[in-house]
Amino acid sequence: MRVPISWLREYAAIPADDAAITERLAMLGFPVAEAESRPTLSGVVTGRIVGLEKHPNADRLQVGRVDVGAGEPLTIATAATNVAEGQVIAVATVGAQLPALRIERRTMRGVVSHGMMISAEELALPAEWFEDGILQLDQTTPLGADVVELFGLASDVLDVEITANRPDATSVVGLARELAASYGVPLHLPRLRDSYDEPEPTGEAPRVALQSTDCHRFVAQRFDGLHVRPSPAWMRIRLALAGQRPINNAVDVSNYVMLETGQPLHFYDASRIRGGTLTVRSAHEGEKIVTLDGAARSLSPLSLVIADDREPLCLAGLMGSASSEVTHSTSAIVVEAANFSGARIRRMSGALGLRTEASARHEKSPAPALTNFGAARAAQLLTEIGAIAYPPRAFGAEIATSPPVRLPLRDVERLLGLTIERERIARHLAALGCTVEPAGGDALAVTAPAWRRDLGIAADLIEEIARIEGYDTIEAVEPSVPPHHISSAAFDRERALAHALEGLGYREIVTHSLCGSAESDVAVEVRNPLSEEHRFLRASLVPGILDYFAANGEVRVFEIGEVFRRENEDVGERTALGFGFLSHRDAARPWKDDAFLRLRGDCETLLRRVTGRAMDASPGDGRHFHPGKRARLTIDGRDVGELGCIDPRTSRALGLTENAYVCLIDVGALPPYATPLYRPPSRFPSTYRDVALVVRADVSARDVERAVAAAAGPSCTGVRAFDEYRGPQVGAGQKSLAVRVTLQRFDTTITDEEADAAVAAILAALGERFGATIRT
Amino acid sequence: MTQLTQLLAELQERFGADADAAIGEQALENVRVAYLGRNGEVTKIRRTIGTLPAAERPGAGKAINDAVAAMEERLKAAQAAVESRAVDAELAASIDVTFPAIAPAAGSIHPVRRIIEESCDYFMRHGFAVVVGPEAEPDYYNFDALNIPSDHPSRESFDSFWLTDSVLLRPHTSPMQIRTMQEHRPPIAIVAPGKCFRRDALDARHLFQFHQVEGLLVADDIHFGHLKGMLTGLCRELFGSGQRVRFRPSYFPFTEPSAEVDTTCPKCRGESAEGRCSLCGGSGWIELGGAGMVHPNVLREVGYDPDVYSGWAFGFGVERLGLARYRVDDIRRFISSEPDFLAQLS
Ligand SMILES: [Zn+2]
Repeated sequence: MRVPISWLREYAAIPADDAAITERLAMLGFPVAEAESRPTLSGVVTGRIVGLEKHPNADRLQVGRVDVGAGEPLTIATAATNVAEGQVIAVATVGAQLPALRIERRTMRGVVSHGMMISAEELALPAEWFEDGILQLDQTTPLGADVVELFGLASDVLDVEITANRPDATSVVGLARELAASYGVPLHLPRLRDSYDEPEPTGEAPRVALQSTDCHRFVAQRFDGLHVRPSPAWMRIRLALAGQRPINNAVDVSNYVMLETGQPLHFYDASRIRGGTLTVRSAHEGEKIVTLDGAARSLSPLSLVIADDREPLCLAGLMGSASSEVTHSTSAIVVEAANFSGARIRRMSGALGLRTEASARHEKSPAPALTNFGAARAAQLLTEIGAIAYPPRAFGAEIATSPPVRLPLRDVERLLGLTIERERIARHLAALGCTVEPAGGDALAVTAPAWRRDLGIAADLIEEIARIEGYDTIEAVEPSVPPHHISSAAFDRERALAHALEGLGYREIVTHSLCGSAESDVAVEVRNPLSEEHRFLRASLVPGILDYFAANGEVRVFEIGEVFRRENEDVGERTALGFGFLSHRDAARPWKDDAFLRLRGDCETLLRRVTGRAMDASPGDGRHFHPGKRARLTIDGRDVGELGCIDPRTSRALGLTENAYVCLIDVGALPPYATPLYRPPSRFPSTYRDVALVVRADVSARDVERAVAAAAGPSCTGVRAFDEYRGPQVGAGQKSLAVRVTLQRFDTTITDEEADAAVAAILAALGERFGATIRT
Repeated sequence: MTQLTQLLAELQERFGADADAAIGEQALENVRVAYLGRNGEVTKIRRTIGTLPAAERPGAGKAINDAVAAMEERLKAAQAAVESRAVDAELAASIDVTFPAIAPAAGSIHPVRRIIEESCDYFMRHGFAVVVGPEAEPDYYNFDALNIPSDHPSRESFDSFWLTDSVLLRPHTSPMQIRTMQEHRPPIAIVAPGKCFRRDALDARHLFQFHQVEGLLVADDIHFGHLKGMLTGLCRELFGSGQRVRFRPSYFPFTEPSAEVDTTCPKCRGESAEGRCSLCGGSGWIELGGAGMVHPNVLREVGYDPDVYSGWAFGFGVERLGLARYRVDDIRRFISSEPDFLAQLS
């Protein structure tokens, strides 16, 4: 909300330092998005044109004599055409400082001019919002007054952010009340018209029919004898400073009261209400309205309208129709000060794509009591411009007073950690409009003012006390956290994985969880995506990692994040880890892939570090992978993930010139950490034998290793295949596996005879099981 | 016999000359094998002992052994000389120590995780646990249980991605407050880091996928001063000991009283001339997120008596902290994760 500080000062004697006001508002919960400072202006005073004649030597100039309240009238030449004797205007005297120039005594075609008659633009107001030529002031304006001071042109204009719970503060009076309470100065409310003792006018008073429960209260008031013309200068200038374009004295009152009190108003030309009754109802399907902005709109029953006997005259809380607009020929109006369901207005505004200053206020569901305040203020201002007021008539709910809230003073201290005296608490609350009474014991009974609907419980009042006392008066202390039994295991596990991968030389990335393609038929779709590129939730980390490779080239990366799949009508979610790298395509030995083995080595190291257990790999079926280069990973027989070379068709499609190798771990499936136990080594030396076995090509190294270990007997402490060969020397469909068998005993040194016997046993067993022969 | 003595003298002389001539350890070893090896010159001579008369054999054996001992002495001296020459040669080397280093293939964790871990470590040192939870959450945990009924105007500030009629991608980490409190009785002391989603258009200051760190402390004597204490400590942990922290009144349906938390702009420290600091826009403050005392309705929802228990909660944006901490110019860099970005901040 745009608020000129000068307007706030009308209601409370707050300090002169604009920066301090800005800071104070922030510390009251109303941050200032922007403080717009006004240009330096001085030496401009009010004056009356007491004489005007044509310039003797120039056709396009006139020479005026201007009474500025003291001394002889000043002789001032002007080129403006809208000047006349008797007008009250703003005059920049000799020495005055205007935004663009400094005023000097000046000779204009032989006439010495002692100043300058000025326009709105020279006061740094938007020129297009004011009359062409010299700014016209009211006849009642005192002469010789400082214009900057009179109209508050020097103070900053603030763009204040108001939280959703404070519709009452979306107003100049509301913010002034906050500042007054904070600075401990009295609040002076604007004058209201709330008594009607003179005889009632004889015309027809407005009738209102409420046919929707979404209109809670409707205050209607008729005014006759209105002369529509420009508003007085003070109001036009104030509206302009607040960012509102002045229109005419009726529309301006409506806007002014909304800004001042927070209650949006709507003015109807009384002569356009056919039948004399305003009906608040839902629109009929297809019903039409042409709104003030010129848009022809077709409505649905979602819209709430105020209609006469024939058609809608207003979109409730949003905007009126062009047909019932107040024009220069209007002499009688009906003022609406209504309270609607904020949710209804919000939905309607969204559906129509129309948001106005009024709807923004209605959406926050202000208190119904605000209707009375707004109506009485409008009545005062309309009376001041000569309109004849009918008494207001209220329809809908009566203003209910909320029940008092019990505020135990102990709770103030309990929640804030701040001791505040009872009187001080009562004073803060009273300054905000609360009624405070003793409630027995250490408690107060606090009745919230009618305009505050957000003060329903003690904690709400405690926040008010803290705001006025100042959050910065609360001392920061470290709590002593009591012991509890909440586990950090899942976080610790993720952290361990991340840091182990960091140690293995992988860089962590974060990619988008939302992607553009479904990937699988169980993909979860977002109902309201921001764009097609982000329509689906990822079902796997693979596409994100591959995209990263495509964009960034050769890197080793990992990502830990959630992946999603549709499970019946529900959304299934798991934490996944993916890591991998790019490696050159190598077609020389189709039966061997070192990049795959490097990835598996990293994976084994990672899982041993994080779970304390050994991982096992066997041929897999993961859908992302090369059919001959993929493995499923298990720990203690349970699936924990998969790894492999990404299907080369996929990497080629992404424009990768290398193959991608990726390991995927289902983080939730990893078993808890098993602490490894130390086994002291044997005191006796170990020995080894290397055996080259020729087996069928489809016999896996792991099966050979296991068979070797079983055959070698209890003194075998390790078996490891260390070389593989295929080719003419071993024949088609065969391979040679070189295996190192380590033998060691705890009670004595292994003899050559024992070692040879072990080898013989191995050859016999593998010959029987796999038809293995020894390679010569 | 004299013939043997003669032979051994000659052999020693040749051996000495060859050993002296050997450059390097391998050459010396070759000399050793040629004379003293299993099939070396000495062995050949030893084989001739059998041809001598029996009486001469012991003298011959001794003579050969003496010769071998002398040759081994000589070999040791030669080995020492070779090693000394090698050391001298090695010591003669001199390199340009300023030549660019060979970098390891270093790994790194993402700056977002680094901030999360440093924040969590701070809270863990103070006795908090760290909990994590799902990103697809029912509206009950996101809104209803947090005192945000449907049609509440503040639901609008959580413009969310919906997956079903009732499940959405969480727009904040606050559901973890409810999940934890429903699972445990007080006292509760947790931090909950995690990914969140809001329907914000992507630009230099906004991500629709970002991270938050949530905190919650509920016990029987917790007040607003404790919130200030912990969050001030956190900011000093992340930004240094001089860091100031400001609490401004604000509004969140799930806290009362509520606060916005700001910390001194680490770039300009509030001293940018006429407010053109690119980080804070000249205000001198960086907004970290929201905080406040847990609303009694939230405590009641999980079965805690608000007259007995009180607590505070906060939620900070991690990437927002990252912008300030690392002076990152564009928040999207956290998600594009380019290698240079990761390398600079690792
Ligand atoms: Zn700054």
